[in-house]
Amino acid sequence: MVFFLLLGIPIFAQTDSQWVLEQSTLTYHVTHPLHQVDGVSHAARGKGVCHAGQCDFLIAVPVKTFDSGDSNRDLHMLQVTRGGQFPMVTVRTRLPESASASATIHADLEIQFAGQTAKYDQVLFQQKSQGNEIRITGTIPATLTDFKIDPPSLLTVAVKNEMPVRVEMTWQRQK
Amino acid sequence: MNPKPSKFILGAWIIALLSLLSFPLRAQVADATLAGTVTDPASKVVPNAKIFIKNVVTRQSVETQTDSAGLYKLSNLVPGDYEVSVSAEGFSTNTTKVMIAAGTKQTLNLTLAGVLSLGDLGFSPAQTQGSAQDQARLNKRSHMLKIHQRIGLIDTVPLVATVILGAGAGGKSTSSTDRFAHLALGSVTGDLYFLSAYYAIRAPKIQGTETRGSIRLHKALAWIHGPGMILTPILGIMAFDQKSNGEKVHGIASAHGAVAIVTAAAYGASILSVSIKF
Repeated sequence: MVFFLLLGIPIFAQTDSQWVLEQSTLTYHVTHPLHQVDGVSHAARGKGVCHAGQCDFLIAVPVKTFDSGDSNRDLHMLQVTRGGQFPMVTVRTRLPESASASATIHADLEIQFAGQTAKYDQVLFQQKSQGNEIRITGTIPATLTDFKIDPPSLLTVAVKNEMPVRVEMTWQRQK
Repeated sequence: MNPKPSKFILGAWIIALLSLLSFPLRAQVADATLAGTVTDPASKVVPNAKIFIKNVVTRQSVETQTDSAGLYKLSNLVPGDYEVSVSAEGFSTNTTKVMIAAGTKQTLNLTLAGVLSLGDLGFSPAQTQGSAQDQARLNKRSHMLKIHQRIGLIDTVPLVATVILGAGAGGKSTSSTDRFAHLALGSVTGDLYFLSAYYAIRAPKIQGTETRGSIRLHKALAWIHGPGMILTPILGIMAFDQKSNGEKVHGIASAHGAVAIVTAAAYGASILSVSIKF
């Protein structure tokens, strides 16, 4: 017991504060000349750990939780995004603790998806704080080629390369 | 005009130019070294961390790995501004900039960022670890359904032709040519239909997937056109025999046309129900 307590002390001593993802809606958008598709997931989980004025965030969501309203299409998306082998999408970012005080955030994102890692510099997010909670919204300008995904096609016409991901998240600060 | 002074000036210019060029050439000698230790946020050394260094100007890059003591060393570097990235399993990539001077042995200790893992978010290893087998299953499923889709679309051609020729083969028509053509096209339609159905039925099922959207209608319609595709040729053969014997089509065989039309309509609706997907 004492051993575990001793182990716990340095861990708590290192972390100044934490952020926990309370709610999220992630929506990918795919465009085809014949129609538009939105796939939505509410299954993301996230945490942020702050130390010495810097916060490291990790957000992850299982690929198979994205719902476009058609299970056949979702399974096809799961296949083209290599979701069987790489079932998670993870996003890592590091932000200064002071960022929570401003109305906008410019975050450098490192996204792992479909077995590939892509970096997006200075992605703009809007944020609104309410008490201990912060609501963040923004769009990640992802493309299929960023993750070496072959574009799915309908009637031999491929979807567009752009696959922006709309992000809506509510984070809660925990001391 | 005296050509000698101009030759002399030209020669002097070339010498001056070459001597100017020689300075940067000398400065580009790859004799610098960068070394250091990679640690995690808890100051523990990290073995097998990847170090990726890229010259900002030339875009040339070199990669190395830390040893068991978390040490790395990059030799024979051309002096200049560099971008250094360090990454390791379970950590996010940390990038920093460094200026390397000619002939120096510089130390750059690197700290990996990101202490959080997927386990910290409450995901179990079963959720986060995929497998090549799962992917192969998805690939096989997509491959078989694409074949199902293609054969199904091709089948619409003989299907429509069979329905059109049916008007000439049935009713008061006595033409055996029309009847045989109808029979032949109907056979092709049936063969392609069951081939297409085979690929749909045998495509691997993905566990834990609830059927949603237009695919539900597509599957529901199969309960109409599937039995219809079995019943239609049976009734058709009966009608064919009656016609060939000079009889008027009678009994259950007289339902052949109606059953065929319902089957074709359900088949068409089934194709339309999924034609807005990719």
